[in-house]
Amino acid sequence: MTITLNVNGARREAAHGERNLLSFLRFDLGLTGTKYGCGEGLCGACTVLVDGQALRSCMTTVGAVAGGEVTTIEGLSPGTSVEDLHPVQRAFVEEQAMQCGYCIPGFIMGAVGLLNRRPDASAGEIREALAEHMCRCGTYQRIAAAVERAASGEGAS
Amino acid sequence: MTGSERVSASPSTSPLRIVGDVTVGFPASRTGYGQATYGNTQPQTERATWIAVWPDGSVTAYAGKVEYGQNIRTGLAIEVADELRVGLDDVEVVLGDTDRVPWDMGTFGSQSTARVGWQLRKAAATAREAILALASDRLDLPASDLEASAGQVRPKADPSRGISYADLLAGQSIEREISERPAVFGPSEFTLMGRAQRQRVDALDRVTGRAVYSQDVLPAGVLYASILRPPAYGARPTRIDLSAAERMPGVARVVDEGDLIAVLGESDEAAALGARAAVIDWQLREGQPSRFDMPALLVESGVDGYAVQEAGDLDEGFRAASSVIESTYYIPYIAPAPMEPRAAVAVWEGDRLTVWAGTQRPFGIRQELAAAFGIEESRVRVIAPEIGGGFGAKSPYGLAIEAARLAKVAGRPVRVAFTRGEETMWSNFRPAAIVRIKSGFDAHGRITAWQSDAYHSGERVMIGRRGADTPYDVPHVRSLVYRSDSPLPSGSYRSLGAAVNHFARETHMDEIAEAAGLDPVELRLRNLSHPRFRRVLETAASDFGWSGPRLGEGRGAGIALGIDVGSYVATAVEVSVAGRDVRVHRVQASLDCGLVVNPEGALNQMEGSIVMGLGGTLFEASDFEDGRLLNAGFARYRVPRIVDTPRIDVRFVGDDTDPSTGAGEPGLVPLSAAVTGAVWGATGVRHRELPVTRHL
Repeated sequence: MTITLNVNGARREAAHGERNLLSFLRFDLGLTGTKYGCGEGLCGACTVLVDGQALRSCMTTVGAVAGGEVTTIEGLSPGTSVEDLHPVQRAFVEEQAMQCGYCIPGFIMGAVGLLNRRPDASAGEIREALAEHMCRCGTYQRIAAAVERAASGEGAS
Repeated sequence: MTGSERVSASPSTSPLRIVGDVTVGFPASRTGYGQATYGNTQPQTERATWIAVWPDGSVTAYAGKVEYGQNIRTGLAIEVADELRVGLDDVEVVLGDTDRVPWDMGTFGSQSTARVGWQLRKAAATAREAILALASDRLDLPASDLEASAGQVRPKADPSRGISYADLLAGQSIEREISERPAVFGPSEFTLMGRAQRQRVDALDRVTGRAVYSQDVLPAGVLYASILRPPAYGARPTRIDLSAAERMPGVARVVDEGDLIAVLGESDEAAALGARAAVIDWQLREGQPSRFDMPALLVESGVDGYAVQEAGDLDEGFRAASSVIESTYYIPYIAPAPMEPRAAVAVWEGDRLTVWAGTQRPFGIRQELAAAFGIEESRVRVIAPEIGGGFGAKSPYGLAIEAARLAKVAGRPVRVAFTRGEETMWSNFRPAAIVRIKSGFDAHGRITAWQSDAYHSGERVMIGRRGADTPYDVPHVRSLVYRSDSPLPSGSYRSLGAAVNHFARETHMDEIAEAAGLDPVELRLRNLSHPRFRRVLETAASDFGWSGPRLGEGRGAGIALGIDVGSYVATAVEVSVAGRDVRVHRVQASLDCGLVVNPEGALNQMEGSIVMGLGGTLFEASDFEDGRLLNAGFARYRVPRIVDTPRIDVRFVGDDTDPSTGAGEPGLVPLSAAVTGAVWGATGVRHRELPVTRHL
């Protein structure tokens, strides 16, 4: 039985409700900005927003989020220039908070989810919220600085 | 010219091309790890285009290296833009596509800036000279009276008479060999090199999810492969029944070629469910060593003791000593665990093969593919897109051949992608090692004798030899490195064996300091005359505010130094220990890597290598028994998280007149000993085995 859901503001159809959300986004919709890292919900690379809250898409089915609004990294901003990025994305650019970049979309979505809940999150809250995200290149110091910058509104336009 | 126009254009159509030989693509002048390990990888062409300047004055630079997080795309662009005197935005860097870039052995050993960056600087300076020559003709002025700036050539006497590069290149078709001695700029003339850049050149793609990794390559009609891999090392299938798998919905076909058993599905889900329906009996290989056997196995199986360093007479050195101490250090296997598990996509068009593979060795993989199918290398194109980390793990890339074999059988594009468990199990691990060090020293803490025997697992001898020599002034020294059996596949890991050898040596230096009643910094300085080593050590100690290892209240400080890929490094750390909890609070490092082309990029690499080093120091060890890996997934393999990350400060202390050396690996090498030294300062317990938290 097909199932419909909202992804980045558009109605999309999945073949069945048991379809893995990460696979659906990447392979069925071609939204490959959301990454596969571990498949066990442990690394955060697959993080998307569902109704503004961060969620591990690798551990979720399409059916489980059918009523909600799914936002992926591609839907976060037009992204045609640094100026029209989401403030969290822009902060990552400004802090050069990336190396290989594979984990970065997940981190950004996790941070946006946190700031949706806690717009003025403290440095400690930021670290705690992102503790379940992995960056093997070790850019954590910059990631923390970027999210703190976004939380403080510094550099936001 | 737009990016997409440049991408499709052949450099042969550009008005100005700079060509040169490809031997720079050998990691270190046909020696070193690459030659020893991948020396079978040979260039098919001797010369290649390194730089093309397009009719609008924009520039493309070509390099055989790949981008897997080191940010060389920005660094190389800075070097080219500065030497050519164009804007950073006017330079595009093409990497890792065997049809488009100069041959290269592989991206390892921190050679990208040191060798390829220098080659591109020379190529860009040659291009600038060619453009100045055109302007000299046009303006009827000697080139020495002209200067290039912002994509224009101007008479020095009358800057208002500028002519743009585009103007000068109109209608031209010039090909120049890279000058042996082009007029590269000196540090005082740099406008981009050594200066902070606002952002990486590829930042926008990385924060918008547009950056394409091998996991993301999905050509039309692609089939998804689930490969049925052995459950343990050395296991062999005794019965293979794929009939039920073949009948599963969405399964396009099943493949059984003995060494390659796969289910090909129209979707990832169909392939995975099909694979679940496959019935395979495996015969396990009995009697494989476990992790507990390693320390003894390393020593007992060690062969080919190779003298990395030998001078004087050890007996004489020990006779001259007032004290002699001896210690043994053990370092288990650790996993590279890059965030992107390897993936490969293969497409055949007739007998022409294209493979997308996030490998550190696109040309090596091209050669392996050509050999596997008995075709010319010119029929094979390997494209390394963005690579989600590597750290050495992505030099071998058997998936590329698997994908190509399956695509040939299926007559359709095929994608093979590792799961996290597969990525870990079928990776190469950093070799396990035992290092025994015996030292003699006099009453003043001057080392008279140094005898080191290091046993590193695995066939690749260059791994264990890296960093196994001591930089201290020891008159009587012998450092031997042995090759030992390896139950796990072992191979490249960031800094190879240097971090392991440095851990043993620098911890031993702390033990000498303790025995001699000297401060660890003082002990090192008494045995160290090399000015570049002294400078990094003194800078790190001073920046850190070094006051000795014991800070009281469960806190301690440690410091260590080292050298890797030509760069001198020292690191001081502060830790606290409470029960089994070790927290690293701050890290202060100093690095001398000569000229720093892109300070923010080098800093990022240092920060990252320090965090990576914390993993192997504090948490990481790959466990195994009976040929099975016991902690393949992240649930059981603890890597550093954001909450483990200390405050990290780095100072670059090199001279910008010294050539650039590596910045990606040195951060790792002193870190473990600095941390264990700090743990000693906090607890009085000397850790000679890693990871620390397993031994508290």
